[in-house]
Amino acid sequence: MTDTPGFTVDVDQNSYLPAGGSQVDAIVTVTMAGGPEAGAAADGAAPTPTGDGLEMIIVDCSTSMSGDKIMSARRATAAAIAELRDGVSFTVIAGTQHAALVYPPFVGTATADAGTRAEATAQVARLAANGATGIGAWLTFAGRIADQHPGAIKHAILLTDGQNGEHPSQFAAALDACLGKFTCDCRGVGTDWRVDELRAISSALLGTVDIVANPSDLAADFRAIMGTAMGKVLADVALRLWTPRGATVRFVKQVAPTVADLTARRTESGTQRGDYPLGSWGAESRDYHIEVQVTPGVVGDEILAGRVSLVRASSDTVLTNTVLTNTVLAQGLIRAIWTDDTALSTRISRGVAHYTGQAELAEAIQDGLAARKAGDGPTATARLGRAVALAAASGNEGTARLLERVVDVIDAPSGTVRLRAGVTAADEMTLDTRSTKTIRVRGES
Amino acid sequence: VGEPCPHCAAPTGTTDQFCEGCGVDLRVRRRDRTDRVEIDLGALAGVSDRGRVHVRNEDAMALGHGTAVGHETAVGQRTAGRSAARLAAVVCDGVSTVHSPELASRAAAESALDVLLSARSAPDRPAEHRTRDAVAAAARAVAALPAPSGRDAPSCTLVSALVDRSDPDLPEITVAWVGDSRAYWLAGAGAAEPARLLTADHSWVAEMVAAGVLDVATAMADVRAHAITQWLGADGEPEPGVVTLRPAGSGALLLCSDGLWNYLPDADGLAAVAVPTIERGTGALDAAAALTAVALAGGGRDNITAVVIPITVRSPS
Repeated sequence: MTDTPGFTVDVDQNSYLPAGGSQVDAIVTVTMAGGPEAGAAADGAAPTPTGDGLEMIIVDCSTSMSGDKIMSARRATAAAIAELRDGVSFTVIAGTQHAALVYPPFVGTATADAGTRAEATAQVARLAANGATGIGAWLTFAGRIADQHPGAIKHAILLTDGQNGEHPSQFAAALDACLGKFTCDCRGVGTDWRVDELRAISSALLGTVDIVANPSDLAADFRAIMGTAMGKVLADVALRLWTPRGATVRFVKQVAPTVADLTARRTESGTQRGDYPLGSWGAESRDYHIEVQVTPGVVGDEILAGRVSLVRASSDTVLTNTVLTNTVLAQGLIRAIWTDDTALSTRISRGVAHYTGQAELAEAIQDGLAARKAGDGPTATARLGRAVALAAASGNEGTARLLERVVDVIDAPSGTVRLRAGVTAADEMTLDTRSTKTIRVRGES
Repeated sequence: VGEPCPHCAAPTGTTDQFCEGCGVDLRVRRRDRTDRVEIDLGALAGVSDRGRVHVRNEDAMALGHGTAVGHETAVGQRTAGRSAARLAAVVCDGVSTVHSPELASRAAAESALDVLLSARSAPDRPAEHRTRDAVAAAARAVAALPAPSGRDAPSCTLVSALVDRSDPDLPEITVAWVGDSRAYWLAGAGAAEPARLLTADHSWVAEMVAAGVLDVATAMADVRAHAITQWLGADGEPEPGVVTLRPAGSGALLLCSDGLWNYLPDADGLAAVAVPTIERGTGALDAAAALTAVALAGGGRDNITAVVIPITVRSPS
């Protein structure tokens, strides 16, 4: 394991509880070294991506893609192909009610080099829009290809413009079968697709979801996605959480860069121990909010309420961090200390407070938009108003701006808003897809 | 492999910082093993518990009979050749505001018990004199403890009982106390020897009430409520209270720290918890545990210690 990149785990929490208290919250920041600010790798350089990767570009070729959209999809796919690093395996898949290989022209995958990139680009120029939309079939097809590349960093870009035509149970089964096989970033072009469908895919397959309302923006977006994908150096990372006997894990949520609930994704990996999939990693940093309910203690008790380490998924390979010649476990300790000093036990950690607000912000937006769609004006006003207040209080300006296109803000701090008439579908869907985007806090004020 | 976890008994590694079972910080817990001590000598038993609030258990108890002596965690139980003629118990409560109160209470309890049960020195010395000797020995032991300059010297309370059963039908009980640890006689309603408090606290509250200055409720609400006016320590010779009791009927003697009686000061109330347990034949330890549980359920604001000595008196036929 000499090539293991350096992971660090930091814990932000208030470990003090009042007598009888049992709820322990912590923000756990997982960082893979690399980039000028981290510098934990021995030579100070970013970890070197390995050649062992698989990229799958899945393009919706249903009839509704005709015109601008399919032309933009061709350009975007070509832009993504141009980003492929030499040595990476790749394939381009056309999706209708079935999935069909566009490139390579034989079964399997091509290995990226100047020649294959040029061939693939030429093939992509012939993509045509003709058929229905069967996203489950596309995923199943991609999953089979991924099966041929064990151990590789496997990633897909999925582009669609419409809602899925498959039976929901068929789609759900196909998605379920792909869990852990590859990660998938989803993009919806135009405004005829369903945010909840693509969000289901991106959260199950540990990727991102976004709207590209204007087809002409697609190429830049694909280029960015592929650039990020090429920066991933380690596949199948899992967060391992040990908790004391009798404790309950209330939730494990990614809270930055976006909110994603991982609680239900737990697989037991030993006594009092479970693993949560984190997908692939590059030089990046993500925050997780963990809440554990422990057996209440008495004043003076001090326990370990949780131990976070990083492992390769479905293995006991614990990931480490090598600083010069010392290899240390990438591990974070969540503690609970019971005290009768209320000045200590009533403090809420800045990180916990912030991310509790950011998670509620995402929830308020999604609730508000759902109520708005259902014609429930009072609920929509209340929830979107709450979202405006939370976005303002936390300084999440990006989300605040998106909210302003859906509601008229009368007073942001109190969350007093009026629903706007004539909101465009694009604005509404943009707010919905980006509702989970959070901003980070750093250090003490 | 290290010693089992003191909290949950799970196996631990010698270098583990935390128990892999319950997560307890082993470096904290390994400092002191007096969180909960139970001593069962059959004829008498005691429970000492840290309670739910205090970080340490600063109470201590020592108990024994003619053939066995137990204090803290070390319980020496030898097979008695005959029924022991003499039983003794000591409960001490360290004064929290001083240096090393837990050492004071331990030293006092152990040295007092040694004198109470000593067979070598003056076996025929009257019980009251032996009891006063025991308190004096405890006071010396506490005074001899090291105290850093500028800090209050270690000090503690004491309540002791010496039960003489040389006439098995008519036991004689000698109780001594310093401070606010108490002895109670516990008996069922209508018993020949009624349940009652045997000691009178050496405390600010008791003095205010005795002088007629304040009523009990007002005095207990004062910040000085728990201040004691007598203690064992470096600063002065204590003047213990001493009482002798020859019970007319069966019951039990209870020695306890204020961590118990603050929750249940009434002798009949204490008897209602302990006496049925003893009468069911489940033993002195169960009675002591039941009493301790009352204080824990009430909040356990202080360390709790209860020693129970069942007393059988044969009724005149």
